[in-house]
Amino acid sequence: MKVLVSGAGGFLGRQVVERLLKGGHSVRSIIRPAAGDSPWQDDVEIFRADLRGHGELVAAFDDVDAVVHLAAATSGNEDAQFASSVVATERFLGAMARSGVKRLVHVSSLVVYDWSRARGVIDEGTPLLDDMYGMGPYTIAKIWQERVVQKFAAAHSWDITILRPGFIWGPRHALIAGMGRTVGGIYLMFGPLTRLPLTHVNNCADCLAAAVENPAAIGECFNVVDGDDVRVWRYVREYAKRKGPSGILLPVPYHVGYGLACLASLTSHILFGSKGKLPSLLVPRRFESQFKPLRFSTQKLTRLLCWKPPLTFEDCLKDTYSV
Amino acid sequence: MGKLKGVIIGCGAIAREHLRALESLTNVEVAAVCDISSARAEATAERFRISAWYASYSEMLADIRPDLVHITTPPTSHFQIAKSCLAAGLNVLCEKPITTTYQEFCELRELSLEKRCMLMENQNLRFHSIVRRIASLLKAGDFGDILDVQVIYALNVSGPDVPYTDPNVAHYGLALRGGVVGDFLTHIACLTHMFAGSALDLRTIWAKRANDRVLPADEFRAIVKGEHAPAYVAFSGNTRLNGLWLRVSGTKMYAETNLFEPPRLILRRSRTGEPALMSLLDGIVEARSVLTGTISGFWRKLSGASGYDGLSSLIERTYQALELRSLPPISLDEIDQVAQLVDGLAKPELKL
Repeated sequence: MKVLVSGAGGFLGRQVVERLLKGGHSVRSIIRPAAGDSPWQDDVEIFRADLRGHGELVAAFDDVDAVVHLAAATSGNEDAQFASSVVATERFLGAMARSGVKRLVHVSSLVVYDWSRARGVIDEGTPLLDDMYGMGPYTIAKIWQERVVQKFAAAHSWDITILRPGFIWGPRHALIAGMGRTVGGIYLMFGPLTRLPLTHVNNCADCLAAAVENPAAIGECFNVVDGDDVRVWRYVREYAKRKGPSGILLPVPYHVGYGLACLASLTSHILFGSKGKLPSLLVPRRFESQFKPLRFSTQKLTRLLCWKPPLTFEDCLKDTYSV
Repeated sequence: MGKLKGVIIGCGAIAREHLRALESLTNVEVAAVCDISSARAEATAERFRISAWYASYSEMLADIRPDLVHITTPPTSHFQIAKSCLAAGLNVLCEKPITTTYQEFCELRELSLEKRCMLMENQNLRFHSIVRRIASLLKAGDFGDILDVQVIYALNVSGPDVPYTDPNVAHYGLALRGGVVGDFLTHIACLTHMFAGSALDLRTIWAKRANDRVLPADEFRAIVKGEHAPAYVAFSGNTRLNGLWLRVSGTKMYAETNLFEPPRLILRRSRTGEPALMSLLDGIVEARSVLTGTISGFWRKLSGASGYDGLSSLIERTYQALELRSLPPISLDEIDQVAQLVDGLAKPELKL
């Protein structure tokens, strides 16, 4: 199979390309013009483009059987993230619509779910967030990106698969939002016993490749997590063991943190009405979307794709911290 | 009487500021928004509960006849869009800089006069609460005669992770004269014009400090001989201390403020009395101004007030002028003089 990978130069993209090559596929990678030399040898075709720009993209789809769409921003303000994730996706899929390629695997995120409405467990049936404008720029962009994908897929009868990974971690990317925050010299660990929706970058890449390869994935959405047995406390401890403590560790029970956020939000509402602004940690819905104690189901991945993460948590630790 | 209708062309960050300002106006309805990205237009319409969105402004203006078109697209598109709107007999409120050249502005000005349409540029700093306060003290004679004006804009445009230097997609500001610095000249020119008067002569220095960046220039200085006073104006793109400082010196009073941090304003008056005591008194007054201004500024941020202090007032006054068929909040002559000053500042006389 010939697979086109957008965002191939990114943290996850590089691993996806490696995994596809190992799977015997030929790969065409889209990387940005200023990204430097190709990280691969001659076994990967390079298509240089920035999806936010005005360059023609249709040629990228020549002779392609499937597309993995990973390109998205993970930082920047709302406009920068919307441009990089949503407007870029519009341009990319506009070109795909003119190319005749029908198979698309899109990488979304667990942030598209409404964590406030999730009861006990997040699975593929959890309602999506529909009022997202009080959330952070990443959430807004990922929801709109998925909406754009769904619209194009419906209009052009594409065979799509949407994958929604949790916290993707790995070498040089071990710090994740669910770990907590450093405020001054104090490291606040919210909900030490909360289960983390972790997916190591190699496991996540393997899952993406499995979705490309397995026809059972067509027309489906999957949440991508390696499992949910690792709790915040353990993850932070493993991190601190190798990287050193990043301040005085202060475990804060989830409900205490959430209660403080509710109190701050209520005070802001009384004083300023709906226009009041608070840091993200003090916005209850944003706090929930990072720290709410939930379970994360992998049943659908196992049932439909028979997928299991190839690396255990210990393997992942070794891989992450050996660099 | 029905509500006035506004439409927005271009749904980026500044459009959201216009829309937030419009939300508080009871006599205005936003009839539609438009952006070349359908998703951006639809997201904006959903967020602000606007009933219609378009990906083509021609289609939007074929369906809706607004009382005012807000043009909030990147500057290089302003001229064409404003020209089509004015040609269709529509009033225009355009983001700064209104055009990329003075010649283009002149063409729009003539068209607006011929069609009897309002042509307005977003010079929101004219209505900034602190700028208004300084202007009213000046009008009341508290400053005495103006001796000089300083306008210093400091913004990190040259750092490695700022959009202005993105090596993959050129920032829209690079198409302006002076590069991205050109995007801020209207603010500098508008404040200079307000306090120093029309420019009679000027001298400019443009420099490039960060040689490894795509920017044609990242530092700019100028001396302007104004009708009322001389002005020293500057833009620094290499600082990490962002701010927009306005300093006005008069024979009887001195005012200093960072317009990024309203309502902090330091006023110093000439006093008669024992110098040591007066110096102590000045210090106490200044410390009180800084403290109360800083706390009020923090409170203001928590309240969700727009960072564009003055935009709300400008938009409200613009619609009021349309409703009452009265004079616009900024006259065409004032916009013309600012456009001329921007044109002059953009010409590098000395390059370092």
